[in-house]
Amino acid sequence: MKKKVLLMGASGSGKTSMRSLIFSNNPASMTARLGATIDVEQNHVRFLGDLILNLWDCGGQDAFMDSYLTTQRSTIFQHVGVMIYVFDVETREMNKDLEYYRDCLEGLRQYSPGAAVFLLVHKMDLVRENKPVTFGKKHKELQVASGDADITVFGTSIYDESLYKAWSSIVHTLIPNAAVLSKHLTTFAEVCSASEVILFERTTFLVIATSTSATEDIHKLDGTRYERTSELIKAFKHSCSRVREEFHCLEMELPDFTAVLDEMTRNTYVMVIAHDPSIETGALRLNIRMARRKFEQLQGDGHVL
Amino acid sequence: MCCFISLILYVRSGKTSIQQVLFENLPPKQTFYLETTTRIVKHTYDTVIPLEIWDCPGTITVETLGAPLSQFLTIIFVIDIRDLYNQPISKLVEFIVAAYHENPNVNIEVFVHKAEKLQEDDKIENFRQINERVTDRLLDISPDYEQMPLNFHLTSVYDHTLHEAFSRVLHKLIDSLPFLEDLLNVFCANSQSPKAFLFDIASRLYIATDASPVDSATHNLCCDYLQMLNSFGPLYKSASASSSRHRKLLPPVLSVPSLSDHDQESPGRTTPSAGASNSKQRAKDLFYPSAAALLHPSTPGTTLTYHLIMEHLALLAIMPTPVFESRRGLVEYNVVFFREGVQEIYQVEQEARSGG
Ligand SMILES: Nc1nc2c(ncn2[C@@H]2O[C@H](COP(=O)(O)OP(=O)(O)O)[C@@H](O)[C@H]2O)c(=O)[nH]1
Ligand SMILES: Nc1nc2c(ncn2[C@@H]2O[C@H](COP(=O)(O)OP(=O)(O)O)[C@@H](O)[C@H]2O)c(=O)[nH]1
Ligand SMILES: [Mg+2]
Ligand SMILES: [Mg+2]
Repeated sequence: MKKKVLLMGASGSGKTSMRSLIFSNNPASMTARLGATIDVEQNHVRFLGDLILNLWDCGGQDAFMDSYLTTQRSTIFQHVGVMIYVFDVETREMNKDLEYYRDCLEGLRQYSPGAAVFLLVHKMDLVRENKPVTFGKKHKELQVASGDADITVFGTSIYDESLYKAWSSIVHTLIPNAAVLSKHLTTFAEVCSASEVILFERTTFLVIATSTSATEDIHKLDGTRYERTSELIKAFKHSCSRVREEFHCLEMELPDFTAVLDEMTRNTYVMVIAHDPSIETGALRLNIRMARRKFEQLQGDGHVL
Repeated sequence: MCCFISLILYVRSGKTSIQQVLFENLPPKQTFYLETTTRIVKHTYDTVIPLEIWDCPGTITVETLGAPLSQFLTIIFVIDIRDLYNQPISKLVEFIVAAYHENPNVNIEVFVHKAEKLQEDDKIENFRQINERVTDRLLDISPDYEQMPLNFHLTSVYDHTLHEAFSRVLHKLIDSLPFLEDLLNVFCANSQSPKAFLFDIASRLYIATDASPVDSATHNLCCDYLQMLNSFGPLYKSASASSSRHRKLLPPVLSVPSLSDHDQESPGRTTPSAGASNSKQRAKDLFYPSAAALLHPSTPGTTLTYHLIMEHLALLAIMPTPVFESRRGLVEYNVVFFREGVQEIYQVEQEARSGG
């Protein structure tokens, strides 16, 4: 299954940086060295085995934007699964940005009416004071510009976990059986006496699905934990690769919880978190090993995993 | 008695950044927004030894320091790696001479800072030049200065060089270092570990390591690993986790009263006990956090282990995965042995400090 993902936005807004951070495990500090994207860079990324993301990273310079909207219009806007439009929060050309954005929405409406639209207010790290207010203003502005189109807006930065939150949410819309996965993860959490189970895609460490449990209200866990976990593991994977090692598995018995992060299927990693002090990492690892076949089977049944 | 470390020299050379990144967990990028220091700011930091760090404004002189230089055990001069000019070098030399005169035993450390700004070749060349010019200038003044214990380090807040350099500075202040190193050597030999570090958890400075040479790549990986674990710690903290989880927790049995007991309010916390034998007995039942990261699944593989040793200290070791997986009991036994050794050393130091 192939899904086309359009990555749009003015030149310099940060499209290629985020793509390289999420899909190539490059650190944020390396993005300054990226060259400008000329026209469209097409990339196929295997995401969860059967699902292939066809990323269209569109240059964004005026000349290209104009041609996307005219002569290349149908090529660009047909068969789109998701359009991501990136706005540099500090841009001085918001009006021009919005104009192109509205034209793109129109192109989508015409050729891919079912496509999901995500708007990223990017480089939020550059906003020094009152981030929520700045973001709120931009959000409203974008909502107005979008008219009755169904949009989702995120504030993002390559320097913190916010990018993972946005992209997890984006890929979530592309996974057909997310609800089924969630159900199985919930059962698995119960078997392990775990408070929570999280499933990650293997290379990006984006969150694919999580267990839903009744105990969640009791624990009141940090609301940013999923994207923070993605960010932490990605950073550590990068550290490992610098010494030509490959991250494989992590177990922790910390003051507040016990957790294991291990391979689930060929394309996924799972993290199991337990708060019950009697649960040991060895038991969790054993449970994961035993659940592997079941989850591989889900994949065999034609589910995306 | 406290160990004073002083960060001295030019305006905007990165002194406050160094202090903040190491001891206040400030992300390196945020140092850009630090305000200029206009007066001396004293910071204390408790690890195996209590540190007092003076962050001085760039305009500081021997006269305006407000304390005799002899009071300091270490003086760190921070110089921007691009400052090859006459004036900064002269100022550095002047200060070194004054410090040495007042206290010939002082450790003088020069951080040639913001090193990441230069390409590898220029970096080495500038470092060499600064080192050479300072040394030449000192020898011009007096040949006696040849014996001066003067150390140069290449540092940057944007990579691990700062941590490595500051760790080395710290080692000179730790009297018990040889004992800690012995314990680490024993641990490594018995656990087939090629490298082990005793880290101060919050600052990610290593207090001691075994006798094998420190390879920067391994040091950096351990630093990053510790950073990840430190970040994970609070992330899945439950508002209602059973108090039994906390009851098992290690209390700061051997901590000094002055140490900040930040989670003193946690309900099930056992009160620190005074007697050493008593605490040792209980140490077996206590819960000590631990973690392990397994690297590349292909055989034999490497495992990075983490074990809490004392309130502020953790043992990080590299070992072959088969040893960790199939001889876990042995590894745990070695950790307990190591922990008891460290706690004993700490206890003795503590008594010496309070008694003497
Ligand atoms: N401060 C900041 N800079 C960013 C961020 N994302 C990207 N950049 C920088 O923006 C510049 C342009 O990025 P690039 O990905 O080439 O933009 P593109 O033309 O949209 O592909 C690069 O120098 C990046 O380092 C961010 O979140 N914060
Ligand atoms: N490139 C680079 N900049 C640094 C480094 N350390 C500090 N800085 C920057 O240098 C400037 C001055 O730092 P500050 O700590 O206030 O210097 P101080 O006056 O010596 O205390 C700030 O903008 C920091 O971001 C470093 O290692 N590399
Ligand atoms: Mg680009
Ligand atoms: Mg300062």
